[in-house]
Amino acid sequence: MSFLLDVQRIGISFGGLKAVQDFTLQIAHGALHGLIGPNGAGKTTVFNLLTGVYLPQTGSIHLGGVSLMGRKPFQIAAAGLSRTFQNIRLFGELSVLDNVRIACHLRGRHSLTATVLRTSFYRRQEAAIEERAMTLLSIFDLGDLAHEQARNLSYGDQRRLEIVRALATVPKLILLDEPAAGMNPAEKIELAKSIEQIRKQFNLTVLLIEHDMSLVMDICERITVLDYGQIIAEGTPGEIQSNPKVIEAYLGEVVTES
Amino acid sequence: MQTLDYAIPGTRPTQPGWVTFVPPLAVLMLALLMHYCVPFLGAYAERIMTDMAIAMIAAMSLTIVNGFTGQFSIGHAAFMALGGYTAAWCSYYFCLRYWGQTAVVPGTLFGTHQLILLCCALIGGAVAAGAGWVVGLPSLRLRGDYLAIVTLGFGEILRVLFQQTNSQALSKPELANRPLFGSDPTNPGWVFPPGVGGSLGFTDIPKSTNLFLCYLLVGLTFLFAYRLKFSSLGRALLSIREDEIAAEAMGVNVTRLKVRAFMFAAFFAGIAGTLYAHQSGTTLRPIDSGFIRSFDIVIMVVLGGLGSISGALLAAVIITGVTAALLGLTDYGLLPYRMPVFALVLILMMIFRPKGLFGVHEIWDYLPQFGRKGAK
Ligand SMILES: Nc1ncnc2c1ncn2[C@@H]1O[C@H](COP(=O)(O)OP(=O)(O)O)[C@@H](O)[C@H]1O
Ligand SMILES: [Mg+2]
Repeated sequence: MSFLLDVQRIGISFGGLKAVQDFTLQIAHGALHGLIGPNGAGKTTVFNLLTGVYLPQTGSIHLGGVSLMGRKPFQIAAAGLSRTFQNIRLFGELSVLDNVRIACHLRGRHSLTATVLRTSFYRRQEAAIEERAMTLLSIFDLGDLAHEQARNLSYGDQRRLEIVRALATVPKLILLDEPAAGMNPAEKIELAKSIEQIRKQFNLTVLLIEHDMSLVMDICERITVLDYGQIIAEGTPGEIQSNPKVIEAYLGEVVTES
Repeated sequence: MQTLDYAIPGTRPTQPGWVTFVPPLAVLMLALLMHYCVPFLGAYAERIMTDMAIAMIAAMSLTIVNGFTGQFSIGHAAFMALGGYTAAWCSYYFCLRYWGQTAVVPGTLFGTHQLILLCCALIGGAVAAGAGWVVGLPSLRLRGDYLAIVTLGFGEILRVLFQQTNSQALSKPELANRPLFGSDPTNPGWVFPPGVGGSLGFTDIPKSTNLFLCYLLVGLTFLFAYRLKFSSLGRALLSIREDEIAAEAMGVNVTRLKVRAFMFAAFFAGIAGTLYAHQSGTTLRPIDSGFIRSFDIVIMVVLGGLGSISGALLAAVIITGVTAALLGLTDYGLLPYRMPVFALVLILMMIFRPKGLFGVHEIWDYLPQFGRKGAK
């Protein structure tokens, strides 16, 4: 079978630090894949490599058979790969609606002449973009907050808005970087449901970084475990839970934290 | 790339068609109103209102770069001067070759000279925009404050270049005797190197700027900036200002849009410079390209609120008004206090209203009946 995302042995080091090494990952169409590992393992760096923020020093990345190597982040977004940020990066001064509309920009046609003359094409497109943004916002119950400034939102709402904004670019694959961080258990359950819903509704493939193990084990179909920039395990949740290397990596972390 | 057809007509409500045509008509009415009413207030008022119009266009154009896109340019006067010099060069030599003189009948609403001015403004704006591309492309690729340094340097370089230009050919026979291109300082070419007055300034430019053209162009610049800001294109610019990395991840071609915004700003600066060059009672001088003039425009944009078009307009009126008032009081020796006063205003603002008078919002967002939610 062919995979939507096919990553072969990518790596990057910062100075002497090998942040990610020989990272290989294949995700089938429509799958929900988990990426876990202790803090500093290199998970966010993997996302940055996939989205073109960092240029991989080795390896190859293909999305739907098309190589993404050396492409700029906006081209990768256009190719159908979108993401959220662990350290929330919303457009804080702008309204919630504008945050989503900006991401809709990618799939429209925007000429300066049409914009300045306010042609009927332009007006129809703007109306359609607004409608689409509102529809997406309502999936995550953010419709009522559409005219709030993004930075005034609660932490959980900001995380949800990050997901909505990523969705608005019409991705094939969405990368979620700790979307449940800072949420309470009830919110996490809601979030898991919403992720399921958007997967079905938009025919999405998801790669998820998450620290809440019960959430990860619950919703992911396959899981990759990173430690010190290297993959230490890959498999179904059941296989991962019983893998001695994984247990060691996590226990090791518990010891250092306490 | 996959695109969605957003333009399919459907049941969703779109803005009514009149929004396309009514505002430009309103701009035309405003320009006519200004042209016929302001002269009743006297020549001094006319002069101040023209100064204000030029300042407003300059401030609104800088808002597109510094306000919307968040890239700090501090050499905006250079683009004004470049546009002004280019346009003045065109109109001056055109009038001289055609009529042998550059005198303009004052008080005309829209005569041949105003038509020439409008064409020259387009040329001046285009040349300024081209320069914006050359200056912007290398410096806007990089993140950080490179643009500020490069634009500052550009203004100073341009100032020195203008100082090195040749004096002007002042009569028709003299002009006819000159070669098109020439390096001989006693008989320089009239196309290149251009005779635009050197350090003494460019004199005898046809004084065809009038209130009608000024406020027509103020209105059109406002429409451009306003329609840009509240469009998909403008929101993409705002996203760059908010978070470049997130903007790029959401599919915004950051470098291209930054350069474009910079070129729009340079274009309108060139137009403002054209109006300035053709304004009666002014001499276009190399110093008009320098930092001091740029600083005035930056003050207007920062005072009005980075990203607020109406804020920039208001600040342009205030700064021009205060300057004129201090000029009027020269007898009391107050003019030297201009810069200290503005510096003080800026310091106070940084303390009490760090985002300028209106932040990224427009004045009407603060009125209760129009207020958008979240405008505060
Ligand atoms: N731009 C960078 N420069 C230097 N070191 C970096 C950079 N980005 C990440 N790192 C390092 O790479 C390692 C992995 O970080 P990260 O991917 O954020 O971990 P995780 O998301 O798994 O917690 C860390 O040690 C971090 O300090
Ligand atoms: Mg991380």
